[in-house]
Amino acid sequence: MYDGGIYRSNELLEMIEDVGGVVLQKTRSAQMFTVTMSIPGEDRGEMERMCTSIGGTVRSVPLAGTEIAVVGPTLGRHHMPHPVCDVAEVLRQNGSITVVMGLARGRGKATSQISVTEEDIINEYDAAIYVLGNFKTCVEAKKHLFEKIRVPVILVSGPMPEGLDEYCEAIISGVGRKSERMRTPDERKKLEEISDRVDEVLRARKKMLEEDPLFVHPAELKQLLEEYEPIKESLRPAPIVLHLDGLRIKIPMHEHGKAISDMTVYGRRLGDIARISESRINDSSIIIKIMTRSEVNDADSAGKGA
Amino acid sequence: MLVEVTGTDAYGNEAYKKLFEDILSESGKATSLEKVRMLLNPGTPLFIFSALMRNVPESKTIADAVSIRTEGNEVHISISDENYAPHILSALWKMYGRDRVDQQTRFDIKIENGDEDAIAKVEIASGEDAKQEIIGSLWRVLPEGIKARHNISEGRLITIAATEEIMTEELKEKALRFHNETKGDADV
Repeated sequence: MYDGGIYRSNELLEMIEDVGGVVLQKTRSAQMFTVTMSIPGEDRGEMERMCTSIGGTVRSVPLAGTEIAVVGPTLGRHHMPHPVCDVAEVLRQNGSITVVMGLARGRGKATSQISVTEEDIINEYDAAIYVLGNFKTCVEAKKHLFEKIRVPVILVSGPMPEGLDEYCEAIISGVGRKSERMRTPDERKKLEEISDRVDEVLRARKKMLEEDPLFVHPAELKQLLEEYEPIKESLRPAPIVLHLDGLRIKIPMHEHGKAISDMTVYGRRLGDIARISESRINDSSIIIKIMTRSEVNDADSAGKGA
Repeated sequence: MLVEVTGTDAYGNEAYKKLFEDILSESGKATSLEKVRMLLNPGTPLFIFSALMRNVPESKTIADAVSIRTEGNEVHISISDENYAPHILSALWKMYGRDRVDQQTRFDIKIENGDEDAIAKVEIASGEDAKQEIIGSLWRVLPEGIKARHNISEGRLITIAATEEIMTEELKEKALRFHNETKGDADV
């Protein structure tokens, strides 16, 4: 990730293109500019020299190209902003796009609930981090909040709960409810531990995807979508967000769904090699899940058979 | 402030003690409490918090937060406790209207044709407000889902019992016993 000023940033963008890299995310805030990029390893040294010469810094961000939901039991002041936002912040520092989400009725040991819509929304992300509280019995009693989630779940809680291993990819204890920012050295270390565990979980997921690769890499598809005029004109920050197995594009499905489906990728219609659906959050985003090569081959042979 | 925690979850006991201290210090009320006892039983669930204040909170008048003098037909007020400045200004505007209240600096106010004695007696913070703020902080410490609550207030001692189930007479009696244990020999 490049972190620096806007001055001479066009040279940086040109260099990324020259070395055959891709820009995963660009964020400009006043004169500050951050670029999350993916470049060949052998060009890293040259890229660092270039970034230093224009007054910026470069660091590795292992979570680049992912979108992660950090889920708290509610949006009430008991659970927000800390530690939910602290966890989200450290993930952003490591390159991820994060979304903080509070459930409508996630509080209470006996009364907590999650709706199907909430589950569907969480399933749109690459992973979900659940931040629960300080009592072991309460954390264990809330497993129904994540047992039906299909994306990897990382549970962050106070005490170490028992019997939840089959519902979570990772459990990190020692956080719990907090009323102030996690700023002590031990707390910062804990946040780094959370980020490292998320990285491990997502690496395993990437490895699984490599066994049956996607028909087209999300970053390649992003380059194609960037040429689509309504996305270029979108004023929303990060109008295209990469997922491990697809993308989120922030334009309405009912207006652009057909045009997106009809785009051509490696001689195929995008709608034939990806599942395109409206986001469950609202109608202003489209979720694209790219099919794997074997899925596309299956669909082809089924088509020929018919 | 002495904080005693008893409960069935060792991790939760420590965490809630820290949480309580943080929230109280954030609200600026930590110094007004002498002793706090907490019973944390997440299994039932039943949570009882008992807070003994140093003094019974009394109401404050403008005279407690300013020095005041009359010169000719003008009353001059110099605010000594800035915490109450917004309340003082708002009370004066209500009494005399904005035209007659002239805030010359951050702390100095001049009032045309004001009545010094009447101004001095105006209440700017009631004792009940201070108590409510402490109760608010205790509610904030309690887990969010524990909604059925029962308050006992006696002089400078406040006890809050909370459960997720029905607040039965048995639980209320338990809260009263806890309240009396906290009171001990103290004169409340």
